[in-house]
Order: sequence, then structure tokens, then C-alpha cells
Amino acid sequence: MKYVSKDLGSFGLHLINSDKFKTITIRVLFHTPIKKEEITKRGVLADILLQSSKKYNSKRNLTIEAEELYAADISTNNQRMGNYIVTSFTLQVLRDCYTEEHNLEKSIEFLSDIIFQPDVENNAFKKERLDIVKYNTVVSISSLKEDATAYSLTRMAEAYDKESPISYRMTGYIEDLEKITESNLYETYQKMIESDYVDIYVVGNFDNKEMTSLIKKYFKLKKIKKRKPSYYLTTKKPRTRRLFAKETIDNTQSKLAIVCPLNKLTDYEKNYALLLGNIILGGGPDSKLFKEVREKNSLCYFIHSIYNKIDNVIVISAGIDKKNFQKTVDLISKNILDMKKGKFTDHDMDVAKEIYHTAREEIEESENRLIAEFIGESILGQEPMDERLKKIMKVNKRDIVRACKKISMDTVFLLEGVKDEND
Amino acid sequence: MKTINLKGLEMNVYEEQLENGLNVYMIPYENKKNYFISYATYYGSDVVEFSPSAKETIKPPLGIAHFLEHKMFEQESGIDPFTFFSESGTDSNASTSFDSTQYICYGTKHFGNNLRYLLSFVNSPYYTDENVEKEKGIIAEELNMYEDMPDFKLDMGIRECVYKNHPRRIDIGGSVEEIYKITKEDLYHCYENFYVPNNMFVLIVGSFDKEEALRIIQDELGKKKKKTLPKITKVKEPIKVNEKELTMKATVEIPKVAIGLKVPTKDLELKDFELDLYLSMLSTILFGSSSAFKERVRESKIVNSIYTEWEKIEDFRTFYLTASTIDPDQFIKEVKKELSDHKVTEKDFNRIKKVWIASEVRMIDNIDATVSNMYDDIIKYHGIIPNKIDKIKAMKLKKLQDLIEKIDFTNISTVKMVQKKK
Repeated sequence: MKYVSKDLGSFGLHLINSDKFKTITIRVLFHTPIKKEEITKRGVLADILLQSSKKYNSKRNLTIEAEELYAADISTNNQRMGNYIVTSFTLQVLRDCYTEEHNLEKSIEFLSDIIFQPDVENNAFKKERLDIVKYNTVVSISSLKEDATAYSLTRMAEAYDKESPISYRMTGYIEDLEKITESNLYETYQKMIESDYVDIYVVGNFDNKEMTSLIKKYFKLKKIKKRKPSYYLTTKKPRTRRLFAKETIDNTQSKLAIVCPLNKLTDYEKNYALLLGNIILGGGPDSKLFKEVREKNSLCYFIHSIYNKIDNVIVISAGIDKKNFQKTVDLISKNILDMKKGKFTDHDMDVAKEIYHTAREEIEESENRLIAEFIGESILGQEPMDERLKKIMKVNKRDIVRACKKISMDTVFLLEGVKDEND
Repeated sequence: MKTINLKGLEMNVYEEQLENGLNVYMIPYENKKNYFISYATYYGSDVVEFSPSAKETIKPPLGIAHFLEHKMFEQESGIDPFTFFSESGTDSNASTSFDSTQYICYGTKHFGNNLRYLLSFVNSPYYTDENVEKEKGIIAEELNMYEDMPDFKLDMGIRECVYKNHPRRIDIGGSVEEIYKITKEDLYHCYENFYVPNNMFVLIVGSFDKEEALRIIQDELGKKKKKTLPKITKVKEPIKVNEKELTMKATVEIPKVAIGLKVPTKDLELKDFELDLYLSMLSTILFGSSSAFKERVRESKIVNSIYTEWEKIEDFRTFYLTASTIDPDQFIKEVKKELSDHKVTEKDFNRIKKVWIASEVRMIDNIDATVSNMYDDIIKYHGIIPNKIDKIKAMKLKKLQDLIEKIDFTNISTVKMVQKKK
């Protein structure tokens, strides 16, 4: 595997050469500082671009063309990365040796058409397309509660700090959806193309020179931009008294969601010590939380803690019976305290390091993980992966304890299941 | 060891059957670092009642196969399998379905040790009154979690409508009430009857040495005795769907719809894999992402995403279609119309063939996808299909048309799920 990054002025081109794949994966990222009121529009925009293009005037024609390119897969995604919103377009297609000559180039042209040749007239998207996308968005927004765990995490974040991007709903907001018109959506589109930062990642077995000229041929972006604000969030000072918030839902199970902001981590703690600390605390089925809360006390089926270093928080999530709420919170609290007191073994640390090591090895087996890795290195300022691995292996107990002391349980949210048996 | 070439994919499957009947399937990769091991039994929630001998019939509480899977992780040694695997950074898990239960581990290190341990822990049941009791709270929360998922409820709803007697109308996990009745004796009965070598297999994909793997498997499992499998009580499932229509109420803001088409297979010429290939072609042409139907319902803004699936049980194939829609009645009407028209064109037929061939090549690139694909083949057809690409290439439109002639497209159930009144 070889990684080369080129600054082409108007965008960054990242070539990840690997002989492990029969496909070529190309991901185009548009990123810009996130604004709450623009999230819905960005979602609608990504969706509408995949509904049709100038050349293929319906979703069906677009899909048929993708199928004709030997099942080229094109998808789009809107994601928050710290202070930024990232709209991505991904193409995955077989190499020409498995299809026919020029199939890759045709597929790249197809992706380029979708992004740069939208189905618009008179500086506006078409009403019938926008209506379809609006319908899709309404369905997604209205279905939020169907995934009670995800919903509890959203509500928890809103209780924690509704000003922070952590609490923004990436599915969008109905009130913002109503304001979207064919022409103001087109303005958003133009703004995205002209002023967003753009990075293109390519993974697979290809010749760098050929790929660079293909990308240059089909991605003609003009403006040169310099990145400004940091991707990393700064969280506000933790509350002195823990906040409890609650909402009921017509369900059998209750969902517990806890956020722990991290108070002034050093870079070393952020990238190394706390990463291991979180694996020990709630990273998997061998973690403290899984063993204590599930295995020993039978309080839940799932429990885990997720460390998000860009957002500067640890989030804990579990599905419980509401009568066990206090007991579960106390146990979680005790386990965090144990981390701070250094009540974990060298063995726990070794296991966490092994888990990290395996995850490092598996990066190279997946296109998505490779792209995520090099987004981290090229945009988020991460050190190269083998450098990180070396440092992780040297982390000691004192480092982990010091980092864990900066965890504070700030907001505890209970989505209380109150089953209404009357239909 | 038999070598089977996966034609058109530049890969081999190595197959071996031990003397006790255990099957081993291995697909080594040259250029990967990771591996995936599955140790599985053809035992799932479909087994509701069985007779180890002419005199004895056992009917354990529902959800027992899934309960047993959870309890496999309890070891007399006190070593927690999750901990064992984590020590080498290896992930492990298990899952129960209608027709199988599998134990898996996947990682990049200590292949030999992990394989040996996986086989040995699944071979060492340790059930006590106490540890069985302890699991009930955990599983109850798992069942409650599913209970709150509208899509899961919808799936159960349509199954109850399609089947009258078949266990596919029962949740794999049973129910909270049933699992509380489970005892350690029940678990041992099921374990001893279904976790036997001639009812099990090992599937390994990825980076490993096949000779080493086979040696370890011989070593760990070779001494296990072959056993006569119990007679599983079969239910008689009528040709017709059980219920034509059902309306369910749930916590959903956008209604949901499920449609089930029940196809008896006794009188069909096509069998097994070939039959599934053609049925899948039919549903892809009618309801797939490039279908005219999909375009129609999208343009009329009643449905965005549609999920389809074929289910294989003895003597039947059932087609399920589910979607969220603001207009359930209109959507059901559209689906029924599409089924009764069932128009297939040569152009669509050939394009889908091309897509499928490309997908096979893409699938083999990815270890996870390959594992799940091969696993499905083993469960459905008791072996890996080595020449899928050739079989896809050989598909003829005429055969599809002949098959369509024999299907009764009115043998369907429909379920509507609407919001509870507040």
C-alpha cells in the first residue's frame, strides 16, 4: 500500500495504491463549516443530485446507466465531522481488466456528470425532483423515533448543549425543509461547488499518473481555498452538578444515553491515552461496562462507550429496563471512577493495545477504512498510522489514569419506555 | 481434500469431510491479512419439536436455540470466550437464525490458537441452574429491544399472515414468557442432539494456512462421534396463505406495508439454486432499483425505499416486500398490479445478468461479503456453488417465462402498519 497526496490548488488529490482490490473506489468530499440551518438543504442537495442529471433525466435512467457500467455503485452521504459538514460522493467500480476497456473512465465521467452537470434549468432545480426529495426527507425525519437508541443519543445531545454542533440532527429539520425552493437550493449547490474545500480520495490498483490525469480531466474546480477553522470541537466546561433529563416513549425498553465531555486533554491524551482508556471502559465485549453491567448484573443486552476525539466526548449508550435506571447509572459511574483510580490491570491494557493493533492491520483490508485513515492524516492532522501504533504500544497506566481523570459525566438522559397497551 | 475452483473468480474452495461427517470449507486468500472463522450447526429456531428415538419426543420452550447460543459463552474453566479472543485483538460473536446457529471469530493474529479455541469452547457446554437464570434478564432485554422496532414487528406480522403452521411465524428469540421456562436440562437435550459433527460445519475465509487449519480441526473435532440425528417434527403447511390481510398498530408516524407472496415449489421444474436464481431475477426486474415500478411509485411520491427478500423453506419460496409509505392502500394496489402484470423484457433480463456477474466479482474482493455468501449457500444448498457465474450466464428468458406461468400471483398476504391513536 502506498499513499501519495497532491495539492492541486483547487482540491487535494489523495491516491491510495493497493493491490488488494478488484475495484477502484473514488470519494469526493465537499466540506465547509457547519451551520445548523443549512443541514437540511445539504441533505436535500445530495439526494437530488442522485435523482437525475442533465444527461440522465430520471433516477431510473441514472440507475440503468450505472448498471450498464458493470454495476458501478454511486452513493452520497452527509456527515458532520466536528465543526464541519461533509457531503461526499462515492463511486465504486470494477477495474477495466474485469469489465472492458474504458469502463473506469466512463464511470468517472458519470460521477463527474452527477456532480457537475445537474438537472437544472434557469438556475433552478426542477420542481418535480425537489418534491420527491422533500418527500424522502419528511419520511426520514418522521421515522427518527423508530430507532430509539439513535433518538435517545440525539435527545441527550440536545439536553447537553443545544448550541453545540454535537446536537445537530443530520437528518434535517422540517421547518428548514419548508423553506427550500428550487432556486435557493441551486444557490446552495453553486456555493458548495465554488467555495467548499474539496478532497478526492482514490483507492485501488491503478497507475498514479494515469489516475491523476483522469481526475484532472473530469474534475475541473477553479477556486483555490485555504482551510480556516479547526475541525475539532471545543466543549464547554462540564457542569458542576450532573444534569438528568428524561422523555417518555411508547416502547417496552428504555434507553440510557450519557455524555462525558473531556476537560482539557493534551494532544497526547487525545490521540493515545484516552483511546486505550475508552477501549478498557466500554469498547467491546471484554470491557468493564459490558462485564459489569451486562454479564454480572444482567441489566442490559447492549452497552458500550464510544470515544469521539473530534467532538471531545465519550458517549455511553445502553438499553435497559426503566426500573434499573439508577442502578445502571451508579454502576457506570463507579466504573468511570475505577478508571480514574487506576483500578484496571496491565492485562486490560495489553488487551486494549492488541485490539488497537488488529484494528490497525484491518485498515488496509477495506477501502472505507483506508479513506477514513487518510482523511484523518490529511485533514485532521493525525500522525501516520504506524507512528501512532508505536506510540500506542508505549502508553502506560499513569498516562491512561491521567487522561481518564478528565472524563466527567455531564448529562444523563433516559428515554423512558412506557408501553401503552391500549391500541 | 477436494479442490473446487470458483470459476471466473480466480479463487479455490478446499473441502473436506471428516469421518464423523463434519464438513470443512476453506477459502484461503493470498493478499489479505485478516481471516474469518465460522463454526456452525444446522440448528435454529425452525426446530420446535423433535424425537431422538421412537419413544421420546421433546418440545422445549420457544427461543431455545437462541438461548443456547448465548449460554455457549459460559465456560466451566471460568474463561470468558470474549476475553480469550480479545487478548489477541480478535473479535468474536454468535448468531442464531431460523435454520442455523453460528459462532464466529475474526481478526489478523493467532489464527491457529483462535481456531482451536473456537472449536473447543463450542464443544464444551456448561449449563448450571444459576448461569441459566442469570441469562434470562439479558435475553429479555434483547427481546424487548426487538419488540420496540417497528420493522421487526412488521416482519413478524407478515410471517404470521403467510404461514399457518410453519415455525417461521415465530420469533427466533421466542418470547419473554417462554424463555423464562428454559432449564439447563432443556439446553443439554438440544445441545446433545444438534451440536453433533454430522450436523455441523466449519467455514474459514481469508489469510490462513489450509493444512494447519485442517490439522487443528481434525485434532479438535475428529474424535467427536457421529450421531443419528433426531427426527424433527414436520408441520403441514397449506398451499394458501394463512391470512390475506392484517392491520397492525405501532409507534410509527409514517405507515409501513409488507407483502408476502407464497410460492409452492413441488410442481416446479426448476429446483434449488437454479430456482432461486430465476425467482430472484423475477423480483429484481419487477421491483429492483432500476425497475419501472420503482420509478412509478417514486414519481408519485408514495414510496422511496423498498426492501425485498426471498425465503426458502421446504416445499415453498416466499417473497417479501416491505416499505414505508404515506399511502398504504395505493402502494398495495400498485404492487398487486405489478405482480399480476409481471412483465419481463429481454433487455432488463440481460442487464440484470450483467449486474449479477459484476457483483460476484466484487463480492469475492471482500472477506465479509464472501463469508456471508458462502455461509448462505452452505445453509441453503448444503454446499458451495462453484460455478455461479456460468449459471447466471446460462440463464434463459424462456425459462423465466415458463416459471412465471406456474406462479399464482394472487396467493399473497398484505400487512399495513399504522400509527396508534394517541
